[in-house]
Amino acid sequence: MSPPGHSARGLRRVAVTGVGLVTPVGNDVATTWDALLAGRSGGAPITLFDASGFSTRIAAEVKGFGPTLVDDRKLLKFANRSHRFALEAAEQAMRDAGIRPTAADATRWGCAVGTGMMTADYDDLAQTHAHCGMSGELDPRRLLDDGPANDPLVFCRGQAAEGLALLTRRFGIHGYATSVHTACASGGQAFGTALKLIRRGRVDRVLAGGFDSMISPIGISGFCLLSALSADNETPQRASRPFDATRNGFLLGEGAGFVVLEEWDMARARGARIYAELAGDGNSLSSYRITDSPPDGDGPIQAMHQALGDSGATPADIDYINAHGTSTSMNDRSESAAIRAVFGADVARVAVSSTKSTMGHLIAAAGAVEGVVCALAIARGEIPINANYRDPDPDCDLNLVVDAPRRQRVRMTMSNSFGFGGSNSCIVMRHPEEVDGRDGSGAS
Amino acid sequence: MSFTKVVITGTGAVCAAGMQPQAILDTILSGQSAIGPIRQWDTTQWPATQAGEIADLDPRKLVPDRKLHKLIRRTDLVGLYAASSAIAASGFVAYRDALAPDQVAPYNDRTGAIVGSGGGNFQNQYDFFPLMSAADGDLPAFGRELADNVNPMWLLRTLPNNVLGHVGIQYNLKGTNACITNHSVGGLLAVIEAMEALRAGEADRVVAVGHETPIEPQMVLYYHRVGLLAKNTLRPFDAAGDGSLFGEGAGALMLETEASANARGAPVIGAVLGGGYASEGQGLLAIRADGDGLVRAIGMALEDAGLAPADVGMIVAHANGTRQSDASEAAALRTVFGSTMPPVTGFKWAFGHLIAAAGIIETVVALAALKANVVPGIATLAKLDDACAGLAVSAQPRPPRSNVALVLCRGFAGTNAALLVRTA
Repeated sequence: MSPPGHSARGLRRVAVTGVGLVTPVGNDVATTWDALLAGRSGGAPITLFDASGFSTRIAAEVKGFGPTLVDDRKLLKFANRSHRFALEAAEQAMRDAGIRPTAADATRWGCAVGTGMMTADYDDLAQTHAHCGMSGELDPRRLLDDGPANDPLVFCRGQAAEGLALLTRRFGIHGYATSVHTACASGGQAFGTALKLIRRGRVDRVLAGGFDSMISPIGISGFCLLSALSADNETPQRASRPFDATRNGFLLGEGAGFVVLEEWDMARARGARIYAELAGDGNSLSSYRITDSPPDGDGPIQAMHQALGDSGATPADIDYINAHGTSTSMNDRSESAAIRAVFGADVARVAVSSTKSTMGHLIAAAGAVEGVVCALAIARGEIPINANYRDPDPDCDLNLVVDAPRRQRVRMTMSNSFGFGGSNSCIVMRHPEEVDGRDGSGAS
Repeated sequence: MSFTKVVITGTGAVCAAGMQPQAILDTILSGQSAIGPIRQWDTTQWPATQAGEIADLDPRKLVPDRKLHKLIRRTDLVGLYAASSAIAASGFVAYRDALAPDQVAPYNDRTGAIVGSGGGNFQNQYDFFPLMSAADGDLPAFGRELADNVNPMWLLRTLPNNVLGHVGIQYNLKGTNACITNHSVGGLLAVIEAMEALRAGEADRVVAVGHETPIEPQMVLYYHRVGLLAKNTLRPFDAAGDGSLFGEGAGALMLETEASANARGAPVIGAVLGGGYASEGQGLLAIRADGDGLVRAIGMALEDAGLAPADVGMIVAHANGTRQSDASEAAALRTVFGSTMPPVTGFKWAFGHLIAAAGIIETVVALAALKANVVPGIATLAKLDDACAGLAVSAQPRPPRSNVALVLCRGFAGTNAALLVRTA
């Protein structure tokens, strides 16, 4: 027998007790959830800059952001767009959990975040170009009196550790604080890191999440050059159609997703509302190509197996897979092969959707936002749809949730995130009643 | 609590002071710093002109696969070199390749890679300058002429997790992995996370890497503007200390469970005994004067390793040369070690601050120093600063008190890491 609050493997259990979202389809959890159930796409022509010359002129932008819960102007002057999303989603999660670090327990709180790659702000770069780079190369002498290159605020906002600095300062977190970047797997890996931190006993609570915003001339350029984005400029709401035979690239999104994670018994002891158990993490490298997963799903398969094993589950226990499902030709084929390989006969039963069909691809925030989606699916007994699915692809023969959301008991979920560079993350969550007994009180 | 024992079977390092751990140690012991005038651009009239550059860096010497050179940056070259050095020293590849065919895939699935990497740099962004000149401030033209002016692989060259991806592909590593973009502590945290992954049974072998090449004009200028750079010399704990100086390079450690190393009779260099990590949460650049985060990180590492302060044979301090960091580090060491302080040293004076690679390269050099039974002196130390009183530092080499080294590392966002290693 394992002690209460410990898994069958004797590890400390981890509860999701607070959630927060800023996404292209809603600046809070409730609005986002309604859109995900309805499959209301966040895709639209880009408004953040004049994208008329780019091959892709659409994206899923966060809309109407503000006024925000975090209005500390001293803090916000160090924050770029993605940091603002992070602060907002994290504040939502803390308020939702009804707990935050105090002077007495600050060292028992951790922070694990998936951080975007922090490409340069276009206006700053254009200013530096005009002053120091008209020849096409940087003239270092002219940098000495360049505006952005001498502005400490520009420096701070562009630092990979700035998001972590803002979050730990805002909430007074003094334990293990880390920032990870494995491209599109970042958010999932942040959740995995957070799970391990609580298991190790180094901290009792972790603020975990991901944030990103690449909808800028430089960010869009990077993806356009790789032909990774859908160029369905006339039909932005249909541009992301994961697993559909006509899919032709992803829709770039932006935003943040955060959770408050707590050691199970402590969450129970304070009467916290538990959305789900963060039950297991899988983490592998494809080591195939920098941008692709292999067609046979090698790499993702190991991550999914690990996550199941880590959570003490089998494929039969999983009711919902929130797929990575980017809507690129290669990813969706490779992921389908991996799901088939791992789930075997259960592939016909397990519900699958990619919420990127609605929100677009939030890159370093994707895994975190989709982890929140899984916690909500369990807590609400609702599975969001895979929007825009019309033409079946025989290579992607999955039990996709199309047309209408499913309302059912969701015992366990799996969330996949695969990144450029070959990192694969898989996160498994469990319904709290599957942990404590049917009444959910823990007194069974 | 008893953990799976984590052993070290290979190391690799490259920086201004040398391309091998032993060569770097020899430079440090010579008392000559490898820091000198920056040569990558003309620093005439620059307020900051010194750094630890790798002289005549030859990409082909660092990464033989020339096809790769188009896909990676200078920072990735040094990272891949250090990783390859550690992997080669461990000898696991030859062992794996001789396994029965059905055992190779499981072996790869149990072999991971964890990397501490600097986030973005600035130089890559200048790749857009020719396009910006062609577009002449017109954003639609920028979009239209993009493909004609920028390398299609631009985004891939810029990925912070390139070393992770490419070391995986080169050696067919399929196991647990992470890329930590946590400023200076990234590399040391990679070692701690690799140790934890081995203890938790997530893998049998993990290569831990840290790499960074911060010596570029815009980065130097920013660090100068926020008051972190020395004028000429990095003098840790010294009354005349006036800041830090950049270095560049990488460090790597091949870590394995004892069982994995024993299975092939691998050479065991040493062991990772424990790690600790804490943040202060005061903001990006702020540091607490009492060294609170560092005190807690060291305490956690000692507890994790089951060691007392008196068991530590030498301390490799962060010793970055900025007055605030040095004074608070001294305060932390006084708090933890008091009168039982072992010899304290630091290595940044000799090759500069490698940011994400700092803690891990200093771990690699610490192992070489323990093996040579020497605590290298800090040659630029002339007069101990009053704020650092009680610190057991010296300009001269001394013998270590035991074969255990404590390596300290601190970074932006008030992060502090401590690692305990010993030699075999």
